[in-house]
Amino acid sequence: MYKEFDLIEGSKTNAKSSRRKFLRNSARATGGLAGIMASGVAPAVAQPRELKMLTWAHFVPSSDEELKVQFEEFGKAAGVKVRMDRVAHLQLPALLAGEVRGQKGHDLVVASNSMPHLYSRHLENLNDLYDKIGARAGGWTSPLFGKGRDGKAQKSLPWYFISFPLAVRTDLISGIGENLPDTWDDVYRIGSKLKKRGYPLGIQLSHASDSSNILSGLLWSFGGKMVEADGKTVAINSKATVAAFKFAKTLYNDAMDEEVLAWDDRSNNVCLVSGKCSMILNPISAYRAAVRSKALIPGSDRQIHQTITHILPPEGPAGRHMSASFAGIGVWKFAKQKELAKEFLDFHFTRDSVDKHLRSSGGFNQPVLKNFAMNPLYASNSKYYFAQYIGWYTHAIGYPGIPTAAAQMVSDQFLLPDAMAACATGKHSPEEAAAKLEKQVKRIYRRFNKKA
Amino acid sequence: MVSVPNVERAAASSSPSSVRSRVKKRLGPDIDGYGFLLPATIVMISLVVYPFCLAIWFSVSDAFVGEPASYVGLENFIYILTEDDIFIETIWNTLLFAFWSVLFKVVLGLSCALLLQRILKLKRFFRGSVLLPFVAPTALSTLGWWLILDPTYSHINWILENMWPFSVMGFGPYNFLGEPTLAMASVIFVNIWRGIPFFIITILAGLMSIPEHLYDAAEIDGASTWRKFRSITLPLLRPVLAIIILFSTIFTLGEFNIIYVLTRGGPMNSTHLFSTYSFTYGILNHEIALGAAVALFLFPILVLIVVFLLRMVRRDTSHEL
Repeated sequence: MYKEFDLIEGSKTNAKSSRRKFLRNSARATGGLAGIMASGVAPAVAQPRELKMLTWAHFVPSSDEELKVQFEEFGKAAGVKVRMDRVAHLQLPALLAGEVRGQKGHDLVVASNSMPHLYSRHLENLNDLYDKIGARAGGWTSPLFGKGRDGKAQKSLPWYFISFPLAVRTDLISGIGENLPDTWDDVYRIGSKLKKRGYPLGIQLSHASDSSNILSGLLWSFGGKMVEADGKTVAINSKATVAAFKFAKTLYNDAMDEEVLAWDDRSNNVCLVSGKCSMILNPISAYRAAVRSKALIPGSDRQIHQTITHILPPEGPAGRHMSASFAGIGVWKFAKQKELAKEFLDFHFTRDSVDKHLRSSGGFNQPVLKNFAMNPLYASNSKYYFAQYIGWYTHAIGYPGIPTAAAQMVSDQFLLPDAMAACATGKHSPEEAAAKLEKQVKRIYRRFNKKA
Repeated sequence: MVSVPNVERAAASSSPSSVRSRVKKRLGPDIDGYGFLLPATIVMISLVVYPFCLAIWFSVSDAFVGEPASYVGLENFIYILTEDDIFIETIWNTLLFAFWSVLFKVVLGLSCALLLQRILKLKRFFRGSVLLPFVAPTALSTLGWWLILDPTYSHINWILENMWPFSVMGFGPYNFLGEPTLAMASVIFVNIWRGIPFFIITILAGLMSIPEHLYDAAEIDGASTWRKFRSITLPLLRPVLAIIILFSTIFTLGEFNIIYVLTRGGPMNSTHLFSTYSFTYGILNHEIALGAAVALFLFPILVLIVVFLLRMVRRDTSHEL
């Protein structure tokens, strides 16, 4: 071996000293390699900095493509390597749980709905960033989202929400000489008239997440609430809840078909696009499906999407309220690149980035920053006018409290849809349904409060 | 015969320093057999024993995603039994679902197997066809059923409303997945459809193994078809029936796919089974401890069923011997 070395070095004297050098360097290298192999970590100088993000696979793929472009653009500017991983939303909880258990994984993670509360201990406090971004964009439309267990620390930045406007068939409504509905009473009146003509209203009273969202909105509009603003005291068994249940029963009997008891999240879209339903409460996906499919109104050559528009969710005696799924983004406490992650968020929440992200999603990613809500995309299409204002009426689960893990549990167990369905079908009276629901909700909150 | 050289070898290498010989002495001469068992043992321990023990630990702890877990004894079981009305409903749903599903699968499976045994033309075609529901992935075939039973555009309702003679009979439309009793009947029906090929093929195999001369002797004695069935077919099929009832009961009690695709436990929790409710708690609600408690609630019931059926099989086979 060192003969070759001699040849390279070219002289004998050099060879002697080189042999020594070689042996010394070899020993160092061997020792170093052994150290690296034992620790499994490369020396700091050899490690390129890498910023990693875990997000859910958006149902509009171009939204993820735009996010990736922004992420890479940031990486280039900051001189770091970036990696964005996308997973199906159903796999996300298991992955996040795995990262928490192992205390390693990505730096930035999507932390939606109650996850900031659930992973409060493991998510970085983002209060400074939240205040900074909020200040430059006129504040946040949903100040309750993203809070940790103390109700103050911002554990996740509100990213966007997917709202539930009222999608209506304008031709059917004008056909009975009515204006577009503004209140729940309007919805009942118009809905019952149209049901008689064979066009029922479609709201799930079933085990579907849309059902939990819509019926929470109905409950809040009548003044009912699961919990007080403290997010702990159960307040479901009230006169307002009973009034909401009574209304739901009448609405079901006079304006809906019994099939809503078995609907999933897709069913109301199908009902509207096929021309059967007169109104549904749903994100804009039903309308976009109608545009894509060019579905015709049964018995005519008119495309159905031309007759569909979206308006704000109905107003009840206690105001206009609706629930929605809120996406958030947070930084793990155990992240390796915490500061870089925060810098990316700062960059991603600028007007330009938010605007691009919103456009790439076709309007689905509704901004949670007040000044960005008035987006030209929404202003340019009358069917999207609602989108500029709906953020003010939209709350995450657990309202008027923060979205807690207990609120998520109530939502995931479909307790409210089941109570309203039992009431609507006559299995329970509104009072009985409210009392039973209170018992169930108290059981969950009692357990959770004890744990907390 | 085999042990003689082994004993000699063991005597020759009885030095205390030889670890191998000491192990051999303790484990017996066929030490290599344990070596062959090792891979299977490792797989069993890592994929069956470890998760099972972990589930038991979860069920007696307060495990929650992202939180350290501590021992709480039987608190979770007491909670689901005394406070959770949905769980009580789930117990009845599961028992009802399993009872009717297994009962129909046995009766229909036996009937179809007897018919298939008698079919001589296109025998292979028919025997292959009955396996189709079993071969198709459950989630996929259940999606097909979901379209057939769809609340808005059910194929069955369309036929009842638009096709003669049903259209004049005035049947339907039925809310198959929206009305609690119908929803339970629908999921039981799909489970039967899915599980019946297993019964047919296994019972058919059992029928083929019954010696023909028994039937010939009965024929000579003037036994009726029913008598032959009652006195020859059924007693000789008992061990096979016991085993498939055992398997089917275990699989039916743990059914998840059909329920999750068709009803997600609804309407109003009327089709929640242990598996779906356990999934709701453990995965959706992050309440790993309660999810494990719900899932393990099934365990003693299954043990009882297994013991009962295996005893029956043993009694039958020892009687045969």
